[in-house]
Amino acid sequence: MNYFVKGNPDLCIGCRTCMIGCVVAHEGTKIFQMKPGEYVFNPKIDVVKTATITMPVQCKHCENPACMNACTVKAIEIVDNAVVVSQDKCIGCKTCMIACPFGAIDMVLASDDSKQLDGSDRVVANKCDLCTGVEGGPACIRVCPTAALKLVTEEEVGTYISNKRTAAAISLAQVKE
Amino acid sequence: MMISYRSLTLRHKMCDNPKCVNVLTKTEKEDFMEKQVLTTCPYCASGCQLYLNVKDGKIVSATPANGRTNEGNLCLKGHYGWDYLNDPQILTKRLTKPQIRKNGVLEEVEWDEAISYTAKRLLEIKEKYGPDSIMGTGCARGSGNEANYVMQKFMRAAVGTNNIDHCARVCHAPSVAGLAYTVGSGAMSLSIPEIEDSKLLFVIGYNPAESHPIVARRIVKAKQKGAKIIVADPRITETARIADMHLPLKGGSNLALVQAMGNVIIAEGLVDKKFIDAHTVGYEEYKKTVEKYTPEYVESICKLPAETIRQAAREYAKAERAAILWGMGVCQFGQAVDVVKGLASLAFLTGNFGGPSMGVGPVRGQNNVQGGCDMGALPNCYSGYQNVTDDAAREKFEKAWGVKLPKEIGITLTQVPQHVLGIKDEKKRLHAYYIFGEDPGQSDPDLHDMREALDKLDFVVMQDIYMNKTGLKADVILPATAWGEHEGVYSAADRGFQLMRKAVEPKGDVKTDWEIICLISTAMGYPMSYKNTKEIWDEMRSLTPSFYGATYEKLEALGSVQWPCTDVSMEDKGTSYLHKDGKFAHPDGKGKFFATEWRAPGEIEDAQYPYTLSTVREVGHYSVRTMTGNCRTLSNLEDEPGWIQMSPIDCEKLNVKEGELIRVSSRRGSVITRVKPTERVMEGATYMTYQWWIGACNELTVPYLDPVSNTPESKYCAIKLEKIEDQAWAEQYVKDSYESIRKNMGIDTEEKGCRI
Repeated sequence: MNYFVKGNPDLCIGCRTCMIGCVVAHEGTKIFQMKPGEYVFNPKIDVVKTATITMPVQCKHCENPACMNACTVKAIEIVDNAVVVSQDKCIGCKTCMIACPFGAIDMVLASDDSKQLDGSDRVVANKCDLCTGVEGGPACIRVCPTAALKLVTEEEVGTYISNKRTAAAISLAQVKE
Repeated sequence: MMISYRSLTLRHKMCDNPKCVNVLTKTEKEDFMEKQVLTTCPYCASGCQLYLNVKDGKIVSATPANGRTNEGNLCLKGHYGWDYLNDPQILTKRLTKPQIRKNGVLEEVEWDEAISYTAKRLLEIKEKYGPDSIMGTGCARGSGNEANYVMQKFMRAAVGTNNIDHCARVCHAPSVAGLAYTVGSGAMSLSIPEIEDSKLLFVIGYNPAESHPIVARRIVKAKQKGAKIIVADPRITETARIADMHLPLKGGSNLALVQAMGNVIIAEGLVDKKFIDAHTVGYEEYKKTVEKYTPEYVESICKLPAETIRQAAREYAKAERAAILWGMGVCQFGQAVDVVKGLASLAFLTGNFGGPSMGVGPVRGQNNVQGGCDMGALPNCYSGYQNVTDDAAREKFEKAWGVKLPKEIGITLTQVPQHVLGIKDEKKRLHAYYIFGEDPGQSDPDLHDMREALDKLDFVVMQDIYMNKTGLKADVILPATAWGEHEGVYSAADRGFQLMRKAVEPKGDVKTDWEIICLISTAMGYPMSYKNTKEIWDEMRSLTPSFYGATYEKLEALGSVQWPCTDVSMEDKGTSYLHKDGKFAHPDGKGKFFATEWRAPGEIEDAQYPYTLSTVREVGHYSVRTMTGNCRTLSNLEDEPGWIQMSPIDCEKLNVKEGELIRVSSRRGSVITRVKPTERVMEGATYMTYQWWIGACNELTVPYLDPVSNTPESKYCAIKLEKIEDQAWAEQYVKDSYESIRKNMGIDTEEKGCRI
């Protein structure tokens, strides 16, 4: 099963530390040596605020990903329990962006500084990759000051469902026919 | 090396706290080859502890440490806010050499010349117009307590005036004054960690998610532990969002609400009579004054249903232990001190003093604004709040400093423009202003007047780490070391002394703040010299009974010591909460009730200026933005010209949409900023953050002051909003303004590039 990061609106204070943590995890600490205009700042997580809700929104790493199924160049694949975009292969057609029901994909300047043949900027799909390849796991979880983000693994889903079923059994047992 | 996701999640499970230093990754460890330095965060006054990871003499990252207040957590400023030390020159440029204005132009000079010139000019002015013609500031930011102690000593002993103040004046001065009157001690009575164990939190005029994320964390935890949360704020803040009750009161009606709550508590017999009788004075007069403040009477002032106010009062009174937390939404009003006194009175009424997790919590904004006050960078007191008018205290300091000291209370920061522009008599005017670690040219209300005052002053000294708006008007610029480049002690919001340590060598020809002040003092004929900050701290302690026990050794051993701490032995670990057993810091030990008549804000909206403006905070930026505005990732998240938060209804009325540039004007000025429609604000009300230089809301704010604390009413003025038809022109204007600000600050914009 794919894992995902779950945001908790009861704990989130909307500070957006996760968004910077995401950028630093993906671009590396080298950005702190670069000129401000030279690196890309493309968080793969967004903190959404409505009148009464504040919570981070990012990819759910669906089991049957609409984005992956829609991708015409097979630039999206499942790697180590995560749905990952290969920016090298991406042609920037935006189909995945439209297909995603959560708005978890946006189009950004490629972070590897690669250009098109005519020298113009390359725009590619950008989404959470669960920090695949980043030691320590998803950076957003690590930097959040209120522990509002949690990695949900197969095992945790199992525990969660089993707890819910126990609670259901207890409550259902109260009902006498 | 790519690591499979399974092994990653395994690692997560192995350690309970994924942020603990033990799980530093291999690459991270390689980054830290040189050293890790434990220090205190230089941003808000939560007092978070963190490690600076240093490689090749440069800070490369920060790791949260297990501090008393932050327990291994940091917000975005703590995590990424050290970047300004690498001087990326996004907004301003690091000062690296002393400068003197010669023929109207700032020229770089050697230290000897800068010191002797400054001393000469100050002496000339002192001779001609007297010591009270000179004003100095303390610094609530990176400089630390020792530098503030030395500065107030310099102003009092070397110059001979009590004209010393700092930006506490424009923030929590009403808390200091109001609490000094009621409970005898102007600080949080409880600790930040205690917040989460309170049974009820009454949060009024305070948005911790923006100003102190690490305090917001405690509020979230309190909620998780079952505490009730009541929020009084015109906006739906993050805390209001999770609150059990949100009271969206009309801006400027705080006192009416607070006294109506007192009225209900008395009328419904919910008072703690035993506590009132044993520990307070003035209850009968209080009762008489709040009698008319029935919920029905204040309904039209607060725009809240009477029943809501009743319910909030009942909940507050019934809670086993309740704490009141407040911020600028209480303090930056023309009637601020009265509200602070009113809040303390609510706690008296319900016996909410004497134990942990209760009482009053004015949560200080800047990292060391508590310290600036603690050290006596105030016109009325020496270190430890020892009054300059108290003969015994003054004589003690006279003896220690070997000089006669003035006993008249000095002028406040916010009175500076008036004392420069408004006084005809040359002899009585201010002529010199020694500005240390502050930027009144950006942070003070009604900037137009402030700039005129800076122009008119005969001599302006600016001592800072970055070029800023005040620097443009200065006659001398003295470059200082920054946080991370020097040692010292900060005071957290909850009275916690903590060490900050040097991590990297400063670049350029700069000196520590206390060294610079000592050199000027010596050149003026009052020699001061210290080997290090510890020596200064020890002198301060020896003159300040309430801090005497907080030695460097103890701070080193315990990490954090909250004052009062009177005994040097390790047994005295400081004081986590004040007013134990209901004994208040007045000579008679009694708390003093207070109530008075509510007053409306100074400038009310009308047909010409139909909207209200309140200044607020942006979580990723700090103060005048010379620090965070020069941090790469923080300025990626938010940058010029900033936003004006507006109700979607008003946006529709004005036909403006999100991101569009709009003109905002008051009777005092006009700026351009971006529209941010949000359902979290009420119709007719708008909010701007004060860090922006282009969208500088202090061009608009009103210099209407609280009569006791002289704190400006930054939370309320009348404005008008105008749609800009030519958006392309406005976008270009923003771009050009930013470019010109950066050039003015000394940045080579061609070389450094520009992002917006």
